[in-house]
Amino acid sequence: MQRRLQIASLALALLAAPATLAHDGHDHGAPPPPVSATVAPRADASSADLEMVVVARAGVLEILIDRFRDNEPVTDAVVEVDGPAGVVKATPEGGVFRIPAPWAEPGRSVDLAVTVQAGDVVDVLTTTLTLPPAEPKPAAGAVVSPAQASETGAAMISGGFGDWGFALAGFAAGLLVAVSFRRRAVVATAVAGLFLLGLAPGAPTRAAEASRDLAQRFPDGSLFVPKTSQRILGLRTLFTEIADHPTTVELPGRVIPDPDGSGVVQSSLAGRLKPPPGGFPRLGTAVAAGDVLAFVEPAVAAADVTSQNQQARELDQQIALIERRLDRYRQIATTIARAQIEDAEVELAGLEARRSNLDRRQRAAEALVAPVSGVIAAVAATAGQIAEPNTIVFRIVDPRRFWVEALAYEAHAFAAHATGRPAGGESFPLAFIGGGLSDRAQAVPVHFSVSGQPKGLRAGQLLTVAATLAETRGGIAVPRAAVLRGTNGRSLVWEHTNPERFVPREVRVEPLDGERVLIVAGIEAGRRIVTGGAELLNQIR
Amino acid sequence: MIRPSTFLAALVLATLFAAGPAAAHQPRLGPHGGALVDAGGHHHAELVADGSATVTVHLSDMADAAVPSTGFKAEAILVVDGKPVRFALEPTEGSRLVGTAPVPVPKGVKGAVRLTGPDGATAQAKF
Repeated sequence: MQRRLQIASLALALLAAPATLAHDGHDHGAPPPPVSATVAPRADASSADLEMVVVARAGVLEILIDRFRDNEPVTDAVVEVDGPAGVVKATPEGGVFRIPAPWAEPGRSVDLAVTVQAGDVVDVLTTTLTLPPAEPKPAAGAVVSPAQASETGAAMISGGFGDWGFALAGFAAGLLVAVSFRRRAVVATAVAGLFLLGLAPGAPTRAAEASRDLAQRFPDGSLFVPKTSQRILGLRTLFTEIADHPTTVELPGRVIPDPDGSGVVQSSLAGRLKPPPGGFPRLGTAVAAGDVLAFVEPAVAAADVTSQNQQARELDQQIALIERRLDRYRQIATTIARAQIEDAEVELAGLEARRSNLDRRQRAAEALVAPVSGVIAAVAATAGQIAEPNTIVFRIVDPRRFWVEALAYEAHAFAAHATGRPAGGESFPLAFIGGGLSDRAQAVPVHFSVSGQPKGLRAGQLLTVAATLAETRGGIAVPRAAVLRGTNGRSLVWEHTNPERFVPREVRVEPLDGERVLIVAGIEAGRRIVTGGAELLNQIR
Repeated sequence: MIRPSTFLAALVLATLFAAGPAAAHQPRLGPHGGALVDAGGHHHAELVADGSATVTVHLSDMADAAVPSTGFKAEAILVVDGKPVRFALEPTEGSRLVGTAPVPVPKGVKGAVRLTGPDGATAQAKF
């Protein structure tokens, strides 16, 4: 029973430690709730730039340093510790700074000043490490955590009996006391019973958890997450600041090709498609404006051929007549007016030109040329196919020039910037071009141009447009991933209150843009909100 | 005779109570124009730097009454121009501990002072 009390005392002493040691110039409100006895003795400190956790484990002091604002681990730094052994430089190893701590005896309280030089950040952090007293004498110089102490204590008593043996021994001891002090028999038996109940089921579990720093959730919902676990989860935080953010509306939209950066290739007459040298361009081929993509051989109907033939014969006939007349005129050139000869010559030249045109017209094919530079987005060309006039043979799209056509159901005053978010894709910036004034399906089409060259964009793709409006709203902007759903369905964020402490905060959010949401209530400026790994934090039970 | 368990329980309670006053005290302006902060659970310390290399620490108790510095030892670790400097402070008359830094120390300097009392008890003050 005495030993049991001592074990409980060890645990309690540890619980007191964080409250004593936290807060170095930063008041984070209420003291954190106690940590269970399975963690190693630890102390923490934070400044405006850095936060630090010091863990005493097996005669070594482990120092973990993170940046205060974003919780990014500081792994490349010069760390010196002013402690009982004077100034000791810490050895970095895997992001943890270690110093030997032979002075870390149980029951001792040690003042530590840790000097950190990490690039441009230089800071001195002070903390007091309280080591819990240990009843069983540990090996010289070893740090005994409460978990180890309780384990060792149990092992010493139970010896070869195992945990159940220990429990039974306790029960027997209780009974013995009951026999010795008969007047208090009832109380003593009850105590012996409690001993049996409390210890027997608990002992194996405690042994399994011993000397491991485990993340744990407290009854009030807050979390204790050791620094080492925070690094594995990749937790990052955002320092909240209240600022004016432009309001946004979300509109359904569709990707369309830029009208100036895309084009279609159509045949103007009915005819047979013929590939250019090298064949028809395939899908995805880059073409330049003016490139010949295909030829159309005009298909001439039988009636047309007949009438053309007839016209040719007529022309031939007229040419023959004029030639004859011209010959005659030249023989009597001295007796007729010179004007008559010249007229006949002009007429003959005209007829010959018409005749040769007629010959050429029959063979000439129409060249289909690319109206803009871009990439072939659609092909409807097969060699020998008869193309009707106005048939779209090719579509050309410039992949660097896309627009988004969104539908606005209200009259908004749009600002210059917007964000497009395709389903399951990455957000990309948009620039406002203009909005229509005529309704289409009870909405007004609004055009945005896609800035930059987002990957995987294609014409016709559906997306959500978060369009910025001219009016602004005040609040705290946080990434979407930072806001989670609580068990009650309310939105919550995790606040990083102390180096190893996280507290859920219910918040009210409003959409801000594709990447961020606006917290309008539930948290103040100057707090640290978990942005990276928040979902993982939510899973800790 | 005090039973060990009673002793331990008392110790634990003492630790728990000690936790209260040690918690967050923002630095405030002291009577000598320096930053006044808690140094452990029994003292306040005020660090006065005026741009010269001489640094003075005034000791007082929790009620801000001056405490004689005789028998105290102190070491200052201050961040000056992005570099940590360490130097010892020696007790002089009154409640003062005076030390000379290797470089001029500006007003409002960041850092820490480690105090060792006449009884060997240590305390730290963070500025």
